[in-house]
Amino acid sequence: MKSGKATLISTFIVGGGQIYAGRFWTGIALAFFFYGSIAFMIIIWTGINQAFWGLLAAWILIWLYNILDAFKGFRYQKPPCEKICPAGIVPWAYINYLALDSEERYPFVPFFDTLGRICLAPCENYCTRRGIDTPVAIRYLRAGVKTMLPEHKHKPKNDKIAVVGAGPCGLSAAYYLAHRGYKVTVYEREEQPGGVLGILIPEFRHPQAVLDQEIDTLKTMGFELKCGVEIGKDISMEKLLEDHDAVFIATGVWKPIKLGIPGEENALDGFDVLKRIRKGELYHLGRVGIIGGGNTAIDIARSLVREGHEVKIYYRRNVEDMPAEYENLEEAQEEGVEIVPLVVPLKIEKNKITLQKTECPEGRKGRVKKVEGSEFEVELDSVVMAIGQYPETDFLKGLVKFDRNGHIMAKDGRTAHPKIFAGGDVVLGSATVAHAVGHGMNTARRIEAHLRHIPTFIAKLLRKTYQPKVKMLPIKQIERIKIPHRAIEERKGDFKEVELWASKDELIKEASRCLSCPLRYHPH
Amino acid sequence: MSRKRIVQILASIIQNAYIPAIFVGGIYQGFLKRGCTPILNCWGCPLALFSCPMGALQHFIGLQLIPFYIAGFFGTVGMLVGRMTCGWLCPFGFFQDLLYKIRSFKMRLPKFFSYFKYVVLVGVAGIVAYVTAEPWFCKVCPDGALIAGIPLVLADKTGDLKALVGWHYYMKIAILLAIIVFSITIKRFFCRTFCPVGAIYSIFNRFSLLRLTVDEKKCIECESCQMVCPMNVGIHRHQHDIDCIRCLDCVKICPTKAITHEVR
Repeated sequence: MKSGKATLISTFIVGGGQIYAGRFWTGIALAFFFYGSIAFMIIIWTGINQAFWGLLAAWILIWLYNILDAFKGFRYQKPPCEKICPAGIVPWAYINYLALDSEERYPFVPFFDTLGRICLAPCENYCTRRGIDTPVAIRYLRAGVKTMLPEHKHKPKNDKIAVVGAGPCGLSAAYYLAHRGYKVTVYEREEQPGGVLGILIPEFRHPQAVLDQEIDTLKTMGFELKCGVEIGKDISMEKLLEDHDAVFIATGVWKPIKLGIPGEENALDGFDVLKRIRKGELYHLGRVGIIGGGNTAIDIARSLVREGHEVKIYYRRNVEDMPAEYENLEEAQEEGVEIVPLVVPLKIEKNKITLQKTECPEGRKGRVKKVEGSEFEVELDSVVMAIGQYPETDFLKGLVKFDRNGHIMAKDGRTAHPKIFAGGDVVLGSATVAHAVGHGMNTARRIEAHLRHIPTFIAKLLRKTYQPKVKMLPIKQIERIKIPHRAIEERKGDFKEVELWASKDELIKEASRCLSCPLRYHPH
Repeated sequence: MSRKRIVQILASIIQNAYIPAIFVGGIYQGFLKRGCTPILNCWGCPLALFSCPMGALQHFIGLQLIPFYIAGFFGTVGMLVGRMTCGWLCPFGFFQDLLYKIRSFKMRLPKFFSYFKYVVLVGVAGIVAYVTAEPWFCKVCPDGALIAGIPLVLADKTGDLKALVGWHYYMKIAILLAIIVFSITIKRFFCRTFCPVGAIYSIFNRFSLLRLTVDEKKCIECESCQMVCPMNVGIHRHQHDIDCIRCLDCVKICPTKAITHEVR
């Protein structure tokens, strides 16, 4: 609550709040410019004229700036890892705490441990250390980080909010809004919460125990979770809008994309296969061909390998351009998944698939061209399609606007309907869990601003920033940690987690590779 | 202290080094005033040794003469080093650098504000000065208010100048205060948005002998250069940015040594 008191002091004494908050010279400088200019004007005073109002405006500007500054506080410039993080995590701060082994705890972010396991880690691609030797293992280091839940509870408010979909996005939003004191009810279609985490992502990447723990932590904020309730079937959308002040749609994408090729009905749907594997229903598919190059395809392949299948993945571009997580892909190849790049399916028959070779430029963009006369047939027992999904948004028809694939058109979370907000995959298209968490939190902030009738830009300006207590680390020439995995033969037999957690000393050693960019490269 | 800071301090002192003014009062009007400094430094400052090129330019424009001397001067300096003088010699730029060091809430300025300084150059220092035959940029210049307006009025013994204080003086102080607040928030706000001298030199940035080059193979896009840049230029994105003041901080900070300066 230091910034609240500082703001109060600054309202009456320009620069006082800054001195109270421990920024002595900032306070002195602001006070000097404000009171100094007033004193100077008194010395040379020659009466009021037209330009006096301009002068008054300048003083008010300094005063307002001083209040805003006391409220927001000083912040280091954002390093690349923090800038790129879709979930709004401050990686360099927790790495710093870890490296110094300090008592400081990182503030809780929804699905923090989950992201430590299955995040795509764009931060590592942008790490400054990447250009020097290898990036810091930012994602993996999350294993050693202790988080703390916010201590301060906000006053309970009367506004009721419904969240549709208990996936990463919906639960993050519910967590934030419940913490802010709103009455939140989460509706989930499936029997268990978690969305993709609960029913899709296989246990060797993300164990159920982690999810249960995450949801228990989120629930401590006190929101109501109603599973097995489908909007449009069990409750109508109209009733939901009547009962609540705002409705947040975070239903995700579940309707499989159709390629529009002959014999497509012979193929299995990727999500369906994953769901049944997750439930423990054993599959007998024989030789399997998977079409697609995302994480879904790789997950299916790895799961099926564990059940003794022979698996091939067919992808239309190069292996390097697959949208799947790099480590996931590498582990899959280690486990014996064969990847056939640069092919597209032409026709699917029972026990047979016709493929055609393609040409495409490097990188994920650019047109894929089919090579004429290069058709060939492969004998397979079953084909699984994992080429992506579109959202099922039929229950919202007539209320909001959609694009041609069924994604809700939303700007800053707001849709065409004033009471309906949308976030996560249903707006973004298939994205990652990190995107879902970040988008959920941001949309929750928008909902809060909407309910309190605050314009967007003021809400953004008033948003407090996390101020890490960090020290600069010395540059150390240490090689990147080799993330320990279970032996290939061992892990191919079961569905237990593949990644192992290193000892604390090793984590500290890896954390000390961080360059603490904001202090070293981004000084003021 | 870095080499740049030392040069900035020395340049600020040398350009404003007419010590007798402190004891005697008045403005230096000797031989050196015939020459321009290559940056914005008000010639109305009691300590100033050289004249301000922008003031001289408006003076000639007001007299409806073609300013050959000033044009040649700007051209020579611009072709040699581009905007380097802004980074190393400008006292007002140095003042803004120090203001940004205050640990407070910071903001970023959208790129299109950078083009507003051409409006100031052509509009205020060009057309308005030509039509009214008065140096109108000098009348709103915050540098003039800081180093000439305030000390002259404070040190005024006879009371002649104090009698002149009116709405115009109030406006100048108001502009100075606003510029100060924005400079605390935004890196070198005045240099990037309003400075007409910088606007002239920025045209030469593309052609100058001294220039920065970025090795794209080495660059890892960590944006350290933009973070440390006093003008918030992403030199890895556009090498001939109009706002690059060749302070060479990015050359020093680059973790992979991808940025180098060369004289061609």
